[in-house]
Amino acid sequence: MDFSPLGDLLTNPLFLLRLGFVAVLYLVILQVVRVSRLEMKRAAVAPAGATRAQQVVGYLIVIDSGSTPLIPGQRIAIEPLTTIGRSPTNTIVLDSTFVSTEHTRIIFRERSLWVDDMGSRNGTLLDQKPVAQPVAVSPGSILQVGDVRFKFAAP
Amino acid sequence: MTMPVKVTKRLRPDIWFDRHRYRWRELRLLVFVALFLLLGFFQLQVAAAVQTGKALPTNALPPLDAFIPAFGLIAALVVAHLALNILAPDTDQTLLPIAGALSSVGVVMATRLGPDLGRDDLGARQLVFVIVGLGACILTVWATRDLRWLRNYKYTWLAVGLVLVGVTLLKPSNFNTDSPSRDVLSIGSGGLAFQPSELLKICLVVFFAGYLSENREMLAQAFYRFGPLKLPPLKHLGPLIVMLGVALVLVVRLRELGLALLIFGLFLSMLYVASNRPLYVVGSLAAFAAGAFLALRIFSYARTRLDIVSSAFNPGVANDAGFQLVQGLIAFASGGIFGSGLGLGKPWIVPESATDFIASSIGEEFGFMGVLALIGLFMLLVYRGLHVAVNARDSFNQLLAVGLTAVFALQTMVILAGNLKVLPLTGVPLPFVAYGGSSLIANFVIIGLLLRLSQRNA
Repeated sequence: MDFSPLGDLLTNPLFLLRLGFVAVLYLVILQVVRVSRLEMKRAAVAPAGATRAQQVVGYLIVIDSGSTPLIPGQRIAIEPLTTIGRSPTNTIVLDSTFVSTEHTRIIFRERSLWVDDMGSRNGTLLDQKPVAQPVAVSPGSILQVGDVRFKFAAP
Repeated sequence: MTMPVKVTKRLRPDIWFDRHRYRWRELRLLVFVALFLLLGFFQLQVAAAVQTGKALPTNALPPLDAFIPAFGLIAALVVAHLALNILAPDTDQTLLPIAGALSSVGVVMATRLGPDLGRDDLGARQLVFVIVGLGACILTVWATRDLRWLRNYKYTWLAVGLVLVGVTLLKPSNFNTDSPSRDVLSIGSGGLAFQPSELLKICLVVFFAGYLSENREMLAQAFYRFGPLKLPPLKHLGPLIVMLGVALVLVVRLRELGLALLIFGLFLSMLYVASNRPLYVVGSLAAFAAGAFLALRIFSYARTRLDIVSSAFNPGVANDAGFQLVQGLIAFASGGIFGSGLGLGKPWIVPESATDFIASSIGEEFGFMGVLALIGLFMLLVYRGLHVAVNARDSFNQLLAVGLTAVFALQTMVILAGNLKVLPLTGVPLPFVAYGGSSLIANFVIIGLLLRLSQRNA
């Protein structure tokens, strides 16, 4: 058996089983390489779309980061249309189970910032009051989104 | 006077499960791991039938009992996958399948070797260790939601690691034995022996990462000049040198060469990443060479280890101190390209074939193609770990990822080189594959930490 030609080996079902067994390990390797390549492609495309110069109309200062990895004291820029939520498509992504996919919207209109709730489960609080319709904010107001709290600051 | 305002309304989680962030890639990879496990256990059945001369019943499916371990492990992997979907959906999706594939190889090999080594429960025990390890991995992911917790207590982690190892120093039977591969650092006995050295690795990496990320500017600058050498202030280098001293004490007192090599390698790689100065690497390697030369002069056991490597095939050595190494090499050679087939070789002739020489058992039964696949998996594990490091948010996370990855890389290299007679043999376990509970659980904790570090805003 040890010195039989390869042709004999290939017709032996046991040998094919052995090959298949290790081949699955190679399939795992191939799949991981495929995933890595996909991620690399995505990483190469992403910065092009991300580098858009935006007008900054104010800042949010993190007061209480809740269960997100934000750091209290961190300043986050507010753009003319800023969305806050758990989904990665938002301008400000809050990775917390208490934050809805699309939670809060901040709009710059008539030289003022307006806060509006997007139908979130836990609601948006401005200075401890639930936001039901667009509310104009002034610097120093406290905005609570889920378990995260921010303070508005002028640009 | 304003009262501190409390959040009166109790917050409810919006959702637990996000369909758009489901880890499909991980699930896809796990399908292949499951296929590997089922094929492996099927082949064990076939091999047992070939060995006993009885053909498998062709008109019936193979008995289901033999597949219970495979189903158990698959179920554990799927549970871990679901738990990650809830706890950390945005983390790396390849780490769990790679670790799963490697530990599947370990479980298959332990199940195969157990009966021949006279320990029928070897496979079952390894399976339990893997399941406990997966639990530890998920627990780590859950516990490290806030990584600052690790960084802020870096000296505590160092103390915990050193105390654990210090406890083993109290046991007098730990000294003066010349076996190259024994569990020097173990507490307890029999089935529940625990090796604190496995935890020491993780504690040391956390300490190094915390210390180096705080002092990296200092270490990257030069303050004192000694001819061509530029050194940072002693205040900043001191604690690191103390750590190296501890590693040396471990070598001298416990003759634990493998652990010392690992700590030294960890120290070097993390110092290099933190400071970006090759001088440190060159200098430390020179110090290492000098230390090794001195050790060869002073300690007879160090010379014995080297003699085994340089003259393993001398008849006097091959039947005595080098028996294990030579038998391991013969096992590798007898495997050839395709191997003897799972369950059809005689890997148990090599002493410690399920632990230190698991690689030679795999080489004999899976052949060159199997060992290549195994090394490929380890390379991918290291690649993914460094990928996490490159994308890390800050220098602490980066250094932590580099250090944890280096633990895998160094262990794999040291034990494989030892098995292949390239380096002196040491009792370092092959990550995820070698039989042993402490090592498996510690490795899964590392996977948990790497998973958390791979989160985009971790």
